[in-house]
Amino acid sequence: MFSQARPAMGTTFTIFVYAANQEQASEYFEIAFDEIERVEEALSDYRPTSELSRINRLAANETVTTDPEVFKFLQTSMDFSRRSGGAFDITVGPLMRAWGFFRGRGHYPTPEELSNARKSTGWQHVHLDPEKRTVHFDMQGMSLDPGGIGKGYVVECVANLLREAGVKTALIDAGSSTIYAMGAPPGKDGWTIQVPRPGDRAHSISTVVLRDTSLSTSGNYEKFFTLNGKIYCHIMDPRTGEPVQGTVQTTVITPNATDSDALSLIMFVMGPEKSEKLLDAIPGTSGMWVLGEPNKSNVIQWHWPGTSTTSSINLAQQNLQIVIMEEAQQ
Amino acid sequence: MINRREFLGKTAGAIAAASTLSSAGALSAFGESRPVPPSDQINLGIIGPGSRGQTDMRAFLRVPGVRIAAMCDVYEPRFDQVRKITGEQTPAFKDYRQLLDFKGLDAVIVASPPCFHEEHVIATVQSGHHVYAEKDMALTVEACDRVVAAVKRSGKHYQYGTQYHYAPWYQEALRRIHSGKLGQVTHIYAYWHRNASWRRPVPDPKTPELEKLINWRLYKECSGGLLAELGTHEANFVNYAFDAMPESVIGMGDIVYWKDGREVPDNVQAIFRYPGGRTFSFSSITTNRFEGEQIRVYGTGGTIVLTQAGGMAYYEPAVAGSAVPEAVIVEHGVTTGASFAAEVPYAGAGETLIVPDGLEGNVNYLAVSSFIDCVRNNKRPSADERAGWNSGVTIALGNLAISSGQRVNFADHIKQQAS
Repeated sequence: MFSQARPAMGTTFTIFVYAANQEQASEYFEIAFDEIERVEEALSDYRPTSELSRINRLAANETVTTDPEVFKFLQTSMDFSRRSGGAFDITVGPLMRAWGFFRGRGHYPTPEELSNARKSTGWQHVHLDPEKRTVHFDMQGMSLDPGGIGKGYVVECVANLLREAGVKTALIDAGSSTIYAMGAPPGKDGWTIQVPRPGDRAHSISTVVLRDTSLSTSGNYEKFFTLNGKIYCHIMDPRTGEPVQGTVQTTVITPNATDSDALSLIMFVMGPEKSEKLLDAIPGTSGMWVLGEPNKSNVIQWHWPGTSTTSSINLAQQNLQIVIMEEAQQ
Repeated sequence: MINRREFLGKTAGAIAAASTLSSAGALSAFGESRPVPPSDQINLGIIGPGSRGQTDMRAFLRVPGVRIAAMCDVYEPRFDQVRKITGEQTPAFKDYRQLLDFKGLDAVIVASPPCFHEEHVIATVQSGHHVYAEKDMALTVEACDRVVAAVKRSGKHYQYGTQYHYAPWYQEALRRIHSGKLGQVTHIYAYWHRNASWRRPVPDPKTPELEKLINWRLYKECSGGLLAELGTHEANFVNYAFDAMPESVIGMGDIVYWKDGREVPDNVQAIFRYPGGRTFSFSSITTNRFEGEQIRVYGTGGTIVLTQAGGMAYYEPAVAGSAVPEAVIVEHGVTTGASFAAEVPYAGAGETLIVPDGLEGNVNYLAVSSFIDCVRNNKRPSADERAGWNSGVTIALGNLAISSGQRVNFADHIKQQAS
């Protein structure tokens, strides 16, 4: 097995691949990282040269034609917005800026900043015309932010490309937030993946074996600031315009990496009860929530590997010294 | 009021005929026959939709009213890849002549390997299509001459696929160079340094034929190597910056690390001499990426650094009067590093080359949308066949210097100037 890591999309992408020799592995790494660069150049909202930035600049003033791939990506994003009732929304760009999470560690917005950002947010204001492949915003100030789905999409693209190139066994990891496990290492049932204890990668709260499926984790500890003892994380509830409270970490397993990235975010915003229906609609999907606060949490598992339907586990039993403050909700 | 299409329908033929007559060549038998489609849609064909061709296609599909209507490739797995990009069952051919016969094409993208550019581009313009031609124009001076002659005869538009030509920060750099803001520009250094094999995976069964088809960049039969595949972008810029063609070139190249059966050097260095003794030094290596891709323009008044992401200008401190007098240093009783300050690399702030509003964007998009504008409005591309010839010949003779180990004088090889 060979691996290579390179910075991309504001994180580190690591690719593990089984190949005949170093030379063959290098060829796989080259096409994989070229593909990551290609998609980043299409979908990054940090790069002024990207296709998404072009759409952000122009779509309020004109209908912008885009290529089928970017158009389909936007359709997928809108579809998740519809299905989640707006809990997932790639128009959160202005909110991320107002809360200081675009190129920053966050800050509390002024009432004016917040009000302006909320006025410029809303997936219903994005109009996609499949006939003409055009995008249009029906108000000024909007900005698409692919943060909740883009890395998953890149992972999916790389997995498809490697498979097409003849790779049978690989693991594609986008900064540990989205992982795709292709095939199984020799003599194994799949790739062994540990779901980290919130904010502590050295310890895990669950170990799963994955084969031809994807796992995503969202955490409130990735980017946050604290004010008056309250944690404000970088994950927005687009419906309220404020960072989500009360969820520490969510993890999902589902076959498609784009879905898994979006679903872990939706689970984070909606919580266990309300996202269950959405997860149920996609075969082969499992979910896990860590709710509460980092040092007093409880874990809820839904169709999690090795458990029956929904169960809760006590993190304290795993010697993680986390006190359960409430019972599982189901 | 007539719409733009009707207007073009009435006048395009006349303009094309006029430009054809103004050149020495005879009228092409096909050049004027193709009708302008009734809608505003531009139908493109593509010959050779490999990785670069696919990037071109994606960019073209972001331009309103553009459709990839047909494709041609000898490697069938490309067909599905292309259809994934176009989102439709794009008709596919294995013979480029069938593609050129396909009804209703307005223009053709030629993205086949460079050894086929001459044949594919000439056939494209002779069949009455405008052409967006990937670089290089061709791999020899003679082939470049033949391409230019055919394009001129046809009266069709040729746009050279050197997308950075359309980068606003490159254009701003040229404005500053030509307006004298950099003083006298005497030297340009350009690097394209990578740390990668440049090799693509070959799917099973790995036959020697398939290896050459996928990894054509590594074999002399079809490839001009790093100087052609990468240096073309820089050569195009430098020819504009110096407003001249080189007079001579020396070069070296060898296989120093990637001894994997490839035929083209895995590193090249070439120095081109321009009129007045100005020089352009190009280096491409595949074993270290510290420098990345960058162009450094050195003038007596300042430096411009261009990368794929943008450009910076650094103005020289006023030379006279800025040096610390040695007496001052001695007065303080120590010999400080100050007397060497002028010799360490410049570490001060630069000035970002501002991209004008509305011109931001991906260079591939800027290049192809400009081409579509030329096709729709019968305008001459900015990176036209003259740019293609200048850059193609620069690289062809650079490669001759590398392969022969001799200094190559351009005057010994150039029989015809493009313009």
